[in-house]
Amino acid sequence: MNKFSNFYFISIVFIAGCSSLQVTEESIANQDVSSVTISPKSTADKAVLANAVVYFEYDSYSLTSKSILALKGVVKLMSGNPKLTIGLEGHADERGTREYNLALGQRRAEAVSTYLVSNGINRKRLIPKSYGEERPLSLGSNDYSWSKNRRVEIK
Amino acid sequence: MKFLFILLVVFPNLVFAELFLEITKGSENPFRIALVTFEGNKKLSKELRNIITNDLKRTGEFSILDQKLLLPVRFIDEELNYKDWKFLGIDYLITGDAIQHSGSIDVKYEIYDIHKKQKIRSSKVFGIPNQTRQLAHYTSDGIYESITGVKGIASTKLIYVNELKHRKSGSTYTLMLADSDGDNERVLLSSSEPIISPSWSPDGKQVAYVSFETGMAKVYIQNIATGKRESVLSKNTQISSPAWSPDGKYLSLTLYQDGNAEIYILRLRDKTLTRMTKQFAIDTESSWSPKGNKIIFTSGRSGSPQIYEMNLRKLNPKPKRISFEGSYNAKAAYLPKEEGIIFVHRSSDGLFHIALKYKKEKFIRILTEAKMDESPSVAANGNMVIYGITEGDISMLAGFSLSGARFKLPASSGEVREPAWSNFLR
Repeated sequence: MNKFSNFYFISIVFIAGCSSLQVTEESIANQDVSSVTISPKSTADKAVLANAVVYFEYDSYSLTSKSILALKGVVKLMSGNPKLTIGLEGHADERGTREYNLALGQRRAEAVSTYLVSNGINRKRLIPKSYGEERPLSLGSNDYSWSKNRRVEIK
Repeated sequence: MKFLFILLVVFPNLVFAELFLEITKGSENPFRIALVTFEGNKKLSKELRNIITNDLKRTGEFSILDQKLLLPVRFIDEELNYKDWKFLGIDYLITGDAIQHSGSIDVKYEIYDIHKKQKIRSSKVFGIPNQTRQLAHYTSDGIYESITGVKGIASTKLIYVNELKHRKSGSTYTLMLADSDGDNERVLLSSSEPIISPSWSPDGKQVAYVSFETGMAKVYIQNIATGKRESVLSKNTQISSPAWSPDGKYLSLTLYQDGNAEIYILRLRDKTLTRMTKQFAIDTESSWSPKGNKIIFTSGRSGSPQIYEMNLRKLNPKPKRISFEGSYNAKAAYLPKEEGIIFVHRSSDGLFHIALKYKKEKFIRILTEAKMDESPSVAANGNMVIYGITEGDISMLAGFSLSGARFKLPASSGEVREPAWSNFLR
């Protein structure tokens, strides 16, 4: 499929006194392209039992007192449903680079995980992961939208 | 200083992509060239001239004589009448011939140095009928190289991510491939889950990227020609930020094995993983030095994102911090001769810009002026940078040459971001 076969390049430089002439011949490298479409399996088919969101400050992955109050409810729910496994999905606002925000979202998810583990929840029941800035809840480039997007969704 | 303002809208045959070429500032001392409409097929010659003119203007290093002012090309005793062109203030004259056969197109072009009164280049490029744009790009690169002494990048390619937000819910994310001028767009991958961080293999035959298709960030490698793709590691952990080593044998990656972003190097042949960082803070966005002996990456170890360099030839290499100005410096890439780095810098006003720091200078140069400039990618010849900007609420691509030219490439539909420029392909 990959046809670079008709590609060749000739370059000759004639030097006569102080003058030089470059003579070249080449063919266009032929590059085939194939398109791929992927249809991901729905990740939303699990029943949502714990539905909570905790928010963070800019550039930060520290839990706030408000977040801790929200997480107390999650601890209670997890303790009462010992078979329940939950995803902790970290997110960032759009400011900063995408990969750094992916890592920041992960730190936020881990911060929630650490709190839950320290409150007696088995780490194996928690799946922290990150979407970085790729899945904003609120569209818009302002403080309100940003504050809604710096979050960990518990589901 | 000369200010050129050019507005161009090109409607190619199949894909409705538009190119908005805006040159706000060119070089202070551009090469003045005359590009004579090529002989041969008229329609083809006109198309070639348009593409070549755009390619050369985008570099910021040429001032092209208005077509209306062109003189007829006259040869006296097989010698070009150099004197007339000198009167027009021209440094170089380019003539050519476009010959269309039933199954092929040949372009011949010649470059004359008006001051030295000599022909400096005589070249032929062979293509097939649907390769008109490529023929023009190859010709542009020949002209650029003969006059500036630097290899041209008109024939290189771009990959980037397009997001189409749907009215009801969700988005379609597409990884696109296009010519260096944004034309000739092709779909490499289409998904309902985000795609980020596309990266070229050095031979231009494969791409690596992060896809969230499994519900978790994973790195995939895809062959451009066949569409064959594979996940690089079967680990049940987040994997992101792929960057190919210059020899194509390794991929540097960010792995989240311990819940924290750390940099690893994967040997592609046997999938051997080597851990490069071990730090409580975030380490990510690695990229390789042109010789492949160093990597740079973003680390939060000082309390804010900063750029660090690591020498791979040393035993137990220690990261050395190389960015000091400001509280956010990230996503760095080396210039091709390693004379400096291009990166994202947050200014004191909280806005994000693309910045350059030369090795021999103590200060940084801020090169862009929008609000949220991101994802810079340096062209193979080091003379141009393409990056993502947000205008209003729409993200699109923009670029600049280090000589000062600027251009924008808005999406034909939806939003575009995360551009990555290929290596030389010819």
